[in-house]
Amino acid sequence: MDAVLATFLRALAFGTPLLWAALGEIVAERSGVVNLGVEGMMLLGAFFAFATAQLTGSPFLGLGAAGLAGTLAALVHALVCVRLRANQYVSGLALGMVGAGIAGLLGRGWEGTPLGKALPELSGITLSGLVLSGLVWGFLYHTRWGIALRSVGESPAAADAQGVSVPLVRSLAVGFGGFTAGIAGGFLSVAYRPSWTEGMTAGMGWIAIAITVFSGWDPLRAVAGSLLFGTLFHLSFRLQGVVAPELLKMAPYLGTILALTLTTARRGSRIQEVPEALGVPYVRGER
Amino acid sequence: MRRLLWTLVILLVAGLGAPSTAQVRKLKAGWIYVGPIGDYGWTHAHDVGRRIAEKTLPWLETTYVEKVPEGQVEAFIDRLVKGGAQVIFTTSFGYMDGTLAAARRYPDIIFAHCSGFKRAPNVATYMADFYQVYYLNGLMAGALTRSGKIGYVGAFPIPEVKRHISAFALGVRAVNPRATVHVRWIYEWFNPAAAKEATEALIAEGADVFAFTEDSPTVVQVAAQKGLPSFGHYSPMYRFAPRHIVSGQLVHWEKIYVDFLRKVYNGTYTPRNLQNVDYWWLLAEGAVELGAQPGMPVNPVFRPRLEAVKVRVPGIGTVSVYDLVFRRLREMSGSPPAFDPFTGPIHDRNGKLRVPAGRRMTVQELITMEWAAPGIVGPWPKEPK
Repeated sequence: MDAVLATFLRALAFGTPLLWAALGEIVAERSGVVNLGVEGMMLLGAFFAFATAQLTGSPFLGLGAAGLAGTLAALVHALVCVRLRANQYVSGLALGMVGAGIAGLLGRGWEGTPLGKALPELSGITLSGLVLSGLVWGFLYHTRWGIALRSVGESPAAADAQGVSVPLVRSLAVGFGGFTAGIAGGFLSVAYRPSWTEGMTAGMGWIAIAITVFSGWDPLRAVAGSLLFGTLFHLSFRLQGVVAPELLKMAPYLGTILALTLTTARRGSRIQEVPEALGVPYVRGER
Repeated sequence: MRRLLWTLVILLVAGLGAPSTAQVRKLKAGWIYVGPIGDYGWTHAHDVGRRIAEKTLPWLETTYVEKVPEGQVEAFIDRLVKGGAQVIFTTSFGYMDGTLAAARRYPDIIFAHCSGFKRAPNVATYMADFYQVYYLNGLMAGALTRSGKIGYVGAFPIPEVKRHISAFALGVRAVNPRATVHVRWIYEWFNPAAAKEATEALIAEGADVFAFTEDSPTVVQVAAQKGLPSFGHYSPMYRFAPRHIVSGQLVHWEKIYVDFLRKVYNGTYTPRNLQNVDYWWLLAEGAVELGAQPGMPVNPVFRPRLEAVKVRVPGIGTVSVYDLVFRRLREMSGSPPAFDPFTGPIHDRNGKLRVPAGRRMTVQELITMEWAAPGIVGPWPKEPK
């Protein structure tokens, strides 16, 4: 029982940044915009959270700075691919690299110091992540605004005809995605492992994008996906004495893909989960 | 007034210009790094070495490129050569073949490849190895564990890391014959999250002292949160856990860089005579150091606990672990070292004799060793039967 509880707590801790980042990506993609720059936004969040928390002594201010940095970075993406209608995939990849580069450059010399005042690992960030997924779910499926956002992602022309501003909704959704990715990165540098190292997210942004897709763009299933990934990730070290480590190394990825594919497949026939206009820039009057 | 001003200007220009023209030739050296210099591990340490070399040698000019993928080293060597580099250091094992290929195209440039084993008339190899320091850390870990279980987070199961874990385990067993070293692999040189979860897994299994091979202070931080002692790795990590870090391994690449560059500069090394130049530098040469911070071999916080544990050592008698650590450190700092952890008889963890009595392992044996020392628990890929 102790082992189960311990594993669950580890899953919560490791799943927290995945959940935060995935929630934002879900909202952005529901509005029809792919943002592959999650890793870069997380790194910016991690750096600004660390630097701010170190300079002010307040990890909460650090998290604020992380959210702000993520939002600003995402708004650049929104400007490029919503306003200027550039290719979302290219812009997102570029954002990922530029974000990682800027964070690395600004972070020079910060890597050798621990954070003076850190947050406990399991804190309000984890709890509010769980609450936030409920809120996002309620927002998407049970509010007029949520319906507007989803229709922008499904059929922007129809939404436009209804008087919904497609660029505005998309920009806000992408901005929100940046905010949560920033918080996810901030969590890493002020709570999960209170220090800064270049490239410290080590691929978590990509896992968050995977969870977005495999959860079928559903915020509640993203909670399950994050926890599942967290569990398997932890177990991949716990079970090394019993199972070959090479196999365990793949397990979290394989398990998450499998479980989420199964849950999506069961509902898949009834509901087409992929936002219809995902990745397609909207130009009024075309089509 | 104007004349005075002009005189001043002329004097100033002459003053600035004179040394550079009067002074002798410069030497330009370039470094190729596999990671970012902000990793606080391997690449960071090499870059610290480069900066110290530049400060120490007035005639040295340096340049570097970071985050160079292992397959692309040749293209970056081209770039450094075009930029005028006369000596090029390639600092990752995976650069080996690329470095040799480039060396054939640039026979007049001097290359030095870190951690490899292939040389050429213009390619030397160099390595600062930690196995002696790991042994010393093992002595302390064996004395500090209460549960008898010591946790080790390893990067990749390759000979270098295996050698270090085995040296560590030999140290542990020299003090505490029943203690075990539990190993978890993360299959990455740098991944703080993986290092963290691996440490958590080891804690859940009862490990209460930690050592590791990963390029961030994660293991030290996680152990300290639980109040458990640990050993730093590669960079000074004392500040991350001043009350819980015991000691660790520190590297001084500058010792090798300064020596090598001096010998290039004074003509000892030329692009034609490096075939047998291999730096395998240890404690005696000062290329590695015991401690979590330069100048502090053992964190004073742990001195009483280490002095309280007494062991009987053949040939020495009964000593405290604290004294034993410093005695072995002294012995290994001599040239040639009076003590080596890999002195026979040594059996592997399956009971097979690996080093016959009275023999020391050779460098060649050390850099290819795959077996596990007694006391090591956990998966050990490619373990010889």
